[in-house]
Amino acid sequence: MTEGVATANAALRTRRRPRWRISEHPYIWVAPLTLLLLATYVYPAVEVVRFSFTNATLLNPEYEYTLRSYQALQRNTSLGGLLWITFLFVFASVVFQLLLGLLIALALNRGVNRNLPGVSVVRIVILSSWIVPGVAAGIVWQLIFSEASYGFLNSLLRDVGLPPVKWLSRPDIAIWSAVIANIWRGTAFSMILLYAGLVIIPKSLYEAAAVDGASAWRQFWYVTLPQLRPILLINTILISIFTLNTFDLILALTGGGPGRATEVLSLYAYNLVFRNFDLANGSVIAVVLLAISVVFTFFYIRLLPKENET
Amino acid sequence: MAEVSVRKLIKRFGQFEVVHGIDFDVTDGEFMVLVGPSGCGKSTTLRMIAGLETVSDGEISINGELVNDVPPRDRDIAMVFQDYALYPHMSVKQNLGFGLKMRDMPRAKIEEAVQRTADILQIRELLDRKPKQLSGGQRQRVAIGRAIAREPQLFLFDEPLSNLDAKLRVEMRTQIKRLHIAFNATSIYVTHDQTEAMTLADRIVVLRGGVIEQVGTPDQLYNHPVNRFVAGFIGSPTMNFIDAELAESAGEASIVFNDGQTLPLTAAQRQSYASHKGQKVLFGVRPEHLTNVFTAENRGGAGLVPIEIPVEIVEPLGADTLVFSKLGGSEIVSRVAGSADLRPGTRIPVHVDMSRTHLFDPETGVRLTAT
Ligand SMILES: Nc1ncnc2c1ncn2[C@@H]1O[C@H](COP(=O)(O)OP(=O)(O)OP(=O)(O)O)[C@@H](O)[C@H]1O
Ligand SMILES: [Mg+2]
Repeated sequence: MTEGVATANAALRTRRRPRWRISEHPYIWVAPLTLLLLATYVYPAVEVVRFSFTNATLLNPEYEYTLRSYQALQRNTSLGGLLWITFLFVFASVVFQLLLGLLIALALNRGVNRNLPGVSVVRIVILSSWIVPGVAAGIVWQLIFSEASYGFLNSLLRDVGLPPVKWLSRPDIAIWSAVIANIWRGTAFSMILLYAGLVIIPKSLYEAAAVDGASAWRQFWYVTLPQLRPILLINTILISIFTLNTFDLILALTGGGPGRATEVLSLYAYNLVFRNFDLANGSVIAVVLLAISVVFTFFYIRLLPKENET
Repeated sequence: MAEVSVRKLIKRFGQFEVVHGIDFDVTDGEFMVLVGPSGCGKSTTLRMIAGLETVSDGEISINGELVNDVPPRDRDIAMVFQDYALYPHMSVKQNLGFGLKMRDMPRAKIEEAVQRTADILQIRELLDRKPKQLSGGQRQRVAIGRAIAREPQLFLFDEPLSNLDAKLRVEMRTQIKRLHIAFNATSIYVTHDQTEAMTLADRIVVLRGGVIEQVGTPDQLYNHPVNRFVAGFIGSPTMNFIDAELAESAGEASIVFNDGQTLPLTAAQRQSYASHKGQKVLFGVRPEHLTNVFTAENRGGAGLVPIEIPVEIVEPLGADTLVFSKLGGSEIVSRVAGSADLRPGTRIPVHVDMSRTHLFDPETGVRLTAT
């Protein structure tokens, strides 16, 4: 008798249509996000690439497809200088943001571990530099670097009896002024990222190292740095891309001057499009920036820790 | 090799005192176990000896040298942590050699020590793996290997086996014991597991609430506990405690339970408890001394008193069986022969080995002895 029931059940099961379940169709779940990403990231990128193959300007809605902008890029004699300025700006910013960010994160971590008062105030102060918009940061630093009588740094120098420095008007100094302003603005990001990396390193690793005979410096070298490695890599790539695309701060601080001493690629692209209304050539520069970012991103993906290692 | 001495050791976290001035000595080559319930200050004490925790008051000396302010790296100690604390980014080989590297030993010497250690712990084939690629037991071996590779003068263990499953724990326990017999290095071992303490220790410090209850060999703690806490903490299943009175019965000093049942004392006990006659006492007997098994020790002994107990719950362990029952109005456990066919509701004849029983002061918990 039980056998009969079993076959009847089996028959029922085969007859019933499998119900269509939304939970079994992953594409439906990722579709909204995919659309959003397509609309906000991929579409503009594709448009930039498309415009780079045209002779479009902001003044004339008509355009036709051509390779002239790329040919112009090859002939562009200022490109080398632009690339060099951009490299200096990105490289110096990244190195110092990492170093300073790490130093502050270490100090902060120490402070928290020792229950020092005021640690959270320090954290908020540092973070606030990060949320200041780039243009505002540029204006603030312009006041600081200003060579007029109210310039902050120069009046400090004057107070201690030193001659004023032409922070913004000497080409070889202005680029470093821009770097300093950008370091100030970007360090908080690295600090927060590295601090998050520091707090998750197990305390017992340091205790084991201390018992094993490692000095504070060797604990940093053999425990902290290797444990922080994945975050340091991610941090480096992210701030490289951020800095590469920074033009708002420089625009407000120096406008790319004096001359073109602080004109980085992204600012150049901005100037081409919004000052010269030259959409086509601006797009070509944007494509160059995009290409560099893609290379960085490629390294970023390659260097991300694999599943089975940390 | 090292001697450790701890004097009036106090630890405060802020206002909160957790270790209240404890004293003990560890002699050269001794395996000392700190045991006690959770939160009694075992780890804190061990970490002060390691130098990972500051000493609030009192003294810790290693080989006669005060080390209160000596940093961990200058104490020549090795420590095995509960969570192993292996360096995740280093291979097993690098983990084993790290302590030697930090002492700037030449590379060839390190390699040699690492290979030797790997042989001892049979982890040769794991040398190139990362800790993540190891099982719990293998990690444990590496953690112990990291400690012994350096040949320090003092080994510290903080519950090294508590993350392992039961079977592996017993295996590693034996391994640790074997290592200690082979190297005879001074060791201090923290655990809350009394079985681990009994099996490993040369001597045991029993801690409770930041004070020492008793220091002694496993045998001393088992046979001569100073108070009810130690008597109950050491031994498994735990000692049975029954409220009773030390009274005269049929002209002889006896234990009289609340329900009227009496147990006669041995001649020796009558003498030692003479001054406590008429007092309320707490009668303590271990399950293995309330049994139907005759052993070489107790056979024909003077103190065997036959009684019958009701069987309530039976827990067969194979070699022997635990019977949960009642005696003198209290819940008790007795350990009887494994072969016995026992049914709840029946009664079973057992004997109490009176010479192995203890009396405790019901107020203070202190064991009554000859006074
Ligand atoms: N860093 C700390 N700050 C404040 N109190 C602490 C700290 N570390 C330990 N304590 C307290 O000190 C007491 C003893 O802790 P300890 O870790 O020594 O216990 P333990 O005997 O090792 O217990 P367990 O068996 O659970 O490991 C506990 O009450 C604990 O809450
Ligand atoms: Mg502990």
